[in-house]
Amino acid sequence: MIEAINLRRTYQTTTGVVRRKRLDVEAVRGISFSVDQGELFGLLGPNGAGKTTTIKMLITLLLPTSGQARVLGHDVVDDAREVRKRIGYVFGGDRGLYERLSAYDNLRYFAELYGVSGHRQRQRIDEVLELVGLKGREKERVEGYSRGMRQRLHIARGILHDPEVVFLDEPTIGVDPVGARDLRQMIADLITVGKTVLLTTHYMFEADALCDRIAVIAKGEIVGQGTPAELKGNVAGGRVTEIEVFGVDEATVVRLRGVGGVSAVTVEEQDQKQLLIVQTTGERELTQPLLAELDGVEVGRVASREPTLEDAYVALVTAE
Amino acid sequence: MKSLRVFFLGGLISYRALFSWMTPSIFFLILVVQPVFQILLFAFIGRAANLRSDEFYVVGNAMQYAAVPCLFAMTQTIAGERYQQTLGYILISPAGRLPLFLGRALPVILNGFFTAAFSLLVGGLILGVTFPTSVFAPLAVVVLVSSLSCTGLGLINAGLGLRIRETSVLSNLLVGILLIFCGANVPVASLPDWMARISSWLPLTHAIEAARAVAHGNSITNVQGLLGRELGVGVIYAVAGLAIIRFFETQSRRHASLGIA
Amino acid sequence: MRSLRVLGLAWLLHVKMMSRSAFDGAMAVIWPLFYATVAFFMFRTGHGSSSLGPIGLAAAVMGIWTATSVPASSALQRERWSGTLELLVVAPRHLALILLPITLAASTIGLYCVAGTLLWARVLFGIHVTIIHPLFFVLGLVGTVLTIAALGFLMAVSFVGSRRAWAIGAALEYPIWLVCGFLVPVSLLPGWAHPFSWALGPTWGMRAIREAAYGGAPLGSLLLCVGLAGVYLALGVLVLRVVLDSARKRATLSLA
Repeated sequence: MIEAINLRRTYQTTTGVVRRKRLDVEAVRGISFSVDQGELFGLLGPNGAGKTTTIKMLITLLLPTSGQARVLGHDVVDDAREVRKRIGYVFGGDRGLYERLSAYDNLRYFAELYGVSGHRQRQRIDEVLELVGLKGREKERVEGYSRGMRQRLHIARGILHDPEVVFLDEPTIGVDPVGARDLRQMIADLITVGKTVLLTTHYMFEADALCDRIAVIAKGEIVGQGTPAELKGNVAGGRVTEIEVFGVDEATVVRLRGVGGVSAVTVEEQDQKQLLIVQTTGERELTQPLLAELDGVEVGRVASREPTLEDAYVALVTAE
Repeated sequence: MKSLRVFFLGGLISYRALFSWMTPSIFFLILVVQPVFQILLFAFIGRAANLRSDEFYVVGNAMQYAAVPCLFAMTQTIAGERYQQTLGYILISPAGRLPLFLGRALPVILNGFFTAAFSLLVGGLILGVTFPTSVFAPLAVVVLVSSLSCTGLGLINAGLGLRIRETSVLSNLLVGILLIFCGANVPVASLPDWMARISSWLPLTHAIEAARAVAHGNSITNVQGLLGRELGVGVIYAVAGLAIIRFFETQSRRHASLGIA
Repeated sequence: MRSLRVLGLAWLLHVKMMSRSAFDGAMAVIWPLFYATVAFFMFRTGHGSSSLGPIGLAAAVMGIWTATSVPASSALQRERWSGTLELLVVAPRHLALILLPITLAASTIGLYCVAGTLLWARVLFGIHVTIIHPLFFVLGLVGTVLTIAALGFLMAVSFVGSRRAWAIGAALEYPIWLVCGFLVPVSLLPGWAHPFSWALGPTWGMRAIREAAYGGAPLGSLLLCVGLAGVYLALGVLVLRVVLDSARKRATLSLA
């Protein structure tokens, strides 16, 4: 349904006032992935990793510098119009709506732009309002809407023309936890009615809960791809050991990294103490050798747990 | 001493911050191109209506444009602080209110002054109206006085800006009213009586009259009566403006109406 | 057919939005009244009150331009600010079909101003505007609204890269009033300005309206007015194509 083959995108920026220097910034450097019908595919990555640029190439807003992309078999460069007709695009945030119009008028406007036929419009708008739970509020002006209501309206707008593929760019950003849970349910429902969804998000538990498959992007490249379970397994291998310490120095952390079977060590600063998150490969219990390296350091709680998607993600994006 | 610092430094810094959107080209379009075309528009309407000489419109509209930055900028200052949500920080600061707001007025007055001087020069050049160089010094004094009095009106506008959100509408209304009442294009004497009476209580009216007299070769001492009245009107508005600002400030603390908290 | 529906609905919704904004709606109606008032006083002093009819009419029509110039020149920028621009670009419609209704809505708001100014002139200055050919008068107004909307469309797409778009629109207010012969006959302007007057649709729209009101043959002016609107539209579509291509290639338009 969605196919990206070696996509690249370079931006040119100029710096300097007197002597202008052209600078090429590679936002996306050769990304390939494909999304199957009915799949919910997640694109994860830190800010500036190239997620949004990738989406913008796929929805025809930006031309790739090189490489190819097809959505539903249509090339995003040559058949932009065909692609546009068949996709929905939803981004997160308060913007992108006409504040002085009612939700109903907002939807009517986009229904017309997307060629939803006249006699279908009213019925279809009712359907999507029902779906996102805004029925009864549709005559109110958007300026009075809460953040969560706006996001639901965004989704309603994105699926108005019944697109086969929906692109969701950080749709739950800034929404309160309960509202975000509703939104996630809505996104999951899209799959059950047969849509294909490409989702970007910062929230690992969200990706873990929703996505069938995930690609992790860092610095414009895909650094890991697979189902959430595969990612957790591949990267962290065995287990994660968390050790609470009070005052650990850099040299000790380096020593820990050298322990056989340790794949990554990250330090989380907490009030008076630090939390060492040690990822290990293989099944071997490493608690003893680790504690041996920490000789002389005051150690608090020690726990061993299953790796989460976040562990996998951190390992992927911090790996050089 | 401290008040002086707040006056100059505070004024300059806030002016820069709030007008950061005003790139040189926007400045050029709004405060140079527009006034010159306003002069041309009314001078040609004057010609079409078989009225006065071009000089009348050159002086009148150039003077009127000195008022525009003063009115807009003062309001923009307050509304802008509110928009950037810095107004709260300013109101809780212990700095004296008078130097705080008047300091903000200083760069704006200079701004209005240059706008007027430039419009006078370019508008005159295009229409072939030349002024002897000797009139520029006294004219500068007149422009300065009118800028002060318009800033007074601007303070009222700014004060209302603490309460009303659509301040740009309010500023535009004031500019329009000044356009009609202040004799920039229609001599106050040809206005109906009730309008002429309002005119004499508005800033700019006396300054425009003084400017025309000066442009005709009168010395500054000949127009000191007019300038005195202009200044007096300006002071009344400034005092009223500061009172309004103080009133809404107290109100806002009581009713949390500034969206500060 | 479908295109007409898009145009119609988008126009309707934009008129709705603009009517709800104090600045686009109320100010667009009030602002030209100040200029009309000054002009009435000036012409009354110079000509006496007998021949003020054409002045009232001209002052009224000027408002269509006022209502259009700033909203039109900054139309794309406003969409960008509200975050809707990308949504409009990814919609499968030609962007011209989406932009034209915005400028058309603005010039339609200008009709409020025409009515307001005529009423103002009548109530406060006793200026009566009599109309000899009512049908042509209405056609003239429609033609002027169209030509100003088309001019606005051309401005909207031409200034798209500029953060100064609204300022350019504001700065163009007086020059167009002056050059299009609303209050000042074109013949009074210096010779080099005449070609500009002739190339501007509002000049002919105003002329058609005047001829419809006071007798004459408005058809020629009307055709020129509408014809120029077509020229602006065609030019606008060409410019838009270039703008959109470069936007996708170079990530301008802040689409990225």
